[in-house]
Amino acid sequence: MSATSAISVQGLTKDFRVGIRGLKLRAVDNLSLEIPRGQVFGLLGPNGCGKSTTLKIILGLVAPTSGKISILGYPSATSSARQRTGFLPEAPYFHKFLTGRELVRYCARLSGVAPSQLDSAVEEALALASMSEAGNRTIATYSKGMLQRIGFAQAIVHDPELVILDEPTAGVDPVGSAAIGKMIHSMRDKGKTVVLCSHLLGQVEQVCDRIAIMDRGRLVLEGRVDEVLARRDKHVITVEHLTPAAQAAAEAALQAQGAHVTSITHPRRSLEDLFRELVTGSRDA
Amino acid sequence: MLKSMKPSLLRIFWLARLTFLEAVRQRFFAFLIVLGAAMVLSSFAFRFLDFGHGELKFIADFGFGGLFFFGSILALVMTAQLLFAEMDNRTALTLLAKPVSRTEFLLGKFAGIWIVLGLFVFVLSTLLGVMLWGRWQELVILAEQTAKVAPQFSLEGVFSHALLQWFRLGVVTSMVLLISTIARTFLFAVVVGAMTIVAGQLQWLAQEALFKPAELNPFSHALLWLASRLLPNLQQFNIGDALALDPSAVATGAVSAAILSGGFYLIAYLFLASLTFQRREI
Repeated sequence: MSATSAISVQGLTKDFRVGIRGLKLRAVDNLSLEIPRGQVFGLLGPNGCGKSTTLKIILGLVAPTSGKISILGYPSATSSARQRTGFLPEAPYFHKFLTGRELVRYCARLSGVAPSQLDSAVEEALALASMSEAGNRTIATYSKGMLQRIGFAQAIVHDPELVILDEPTAGVDPVGSAAIGKMIHSMRDKGKTVVLCSHLLGQVEQVCDRIAIMDRGRLVLEGRVDEVLARRDKHVITVEHLTPAAQAAAEAALQAQGAHVTSITHPRRSLEDLFRELVTGSRDA
Repeated sequence: MLKSMKPSLLRIFWLARLTFLEAVRQRFFAFLIVLGAAMVLSSFAFRFLDFGHGELKFIADFGFGGLFFFGSILALVMTAQLLFAEMDNRTALTLLAKPVSRTEFLLGKFAGIWIVLGLFVFVLSTLLGVMLWGRWQELVILAEQTAKVAPQFSLEGVFSHALLQWFRLGVVTSMVLLISTIARTFLFAVVVGAMTIVAGQLQWLAQEALFKPAELNPFSHALLWLASRLLPNLQQFNIGDALALDPSAVATGAVSAAILSGGFYLIAYLFLASLTFQRREI
């Protein structure tokens, strides 16, 4: 295990028994992973690839069949490890009769926040999740995006070193997703480690420093986002005011140096960026 | 030692508080408390059907019966429902990802439900106590006027019975909690829980049968022995009419014996529930 790892997973295997005959279903197969501290780490994969099970095992909610997991140097599923970890479950569901502020305060108490720091910790978490104003409304009245944001606030209220987010933007519109992306970046800026699993590859690409891809319970790729996505054999040059004459001259110059121009197109912005530009106001605010 | 346990006790307190708030908001709780109160109040209207046992005994039996019956249903359904709701709605995921142990989670649930049951027992017992005391006052005056012997009544006995019933419901709650940690569905937990409560009410029959070993074959003997050890004698808590109307008929130490025996089963069931819940995948 590396001393700088936020999470260290070694040889993790998880079998579920299904049916009356107790047939084995392998959800995670000999997974080994080191997640460094202070980075945003994305765990990707198709449905049923074992990423949620892996997160649940890391959090001690599900027992592994075999393997070792440690969080920030502590064995996972211990109180010391959980004290330093915040978790936002997929499609979070909270007690609806509580207000957002009551929920965050309740979670702070369970996480051992000192009474003298309770008020400031709650307000800080609500502010970071942009939920200060809506904090006095009952959770039953919240939209999906607000539920995710209040879930984020309860996950970070005790100032954890590690934040685990399971599908943090599932069912949230692009404006809400962007807000969650900002929260993730602000956590990283504070030196926290953020681990998230998501299907939204475009968003993962934008917010993550490193990614791991799982398939059928196995790790198939792991590395820095820019390293795994870069195509080292090709280059992009962005030019403004390109006239046909300038284009021809540039192509000729490049060809003279042995380079081969394969395509010249206009750069595109993503649909998500366009949507966010047009829809400026959040409906949840 | 208490200082080192303080964070754990605080977490149990906060979990119990949330469970209590969630339980008292349920329509089911309000429905049963209204139904129980209606049964206690209606005993006054039906007191002429006393079958020659005296008005106060009829009112007491009717009221204690309501407390016993609706209290058992409340303990059974609420315990299973609150635990399964936490798991099915995945609120347990959020809570158990915090530095909360599964034992603390279960103890918090138990404490919250037990406090709700305490409220239920207190409300109905107070109502019954007031009714019995009011009627007793009238009967004492009537007895003085007709030179008859006035009936006995002990308000303290009503509340001793309330304490016993609260303890009995605590045992039932811990029993249902254990079943719920093993059960896969809410329905299974409720059905098996109901059967276990009935078996607990009839446990004294197993104890009595064991006093006549000659009449039992080895298999029946072993089965009855096991049942009499695994299940609490819930019948020993039902001495309300004697406590309220004829305290001298209650054997010395009967209340404390029932509480001690109930306490043993309550702790044992909670311990087992905690063990089985450790392996449960949420």
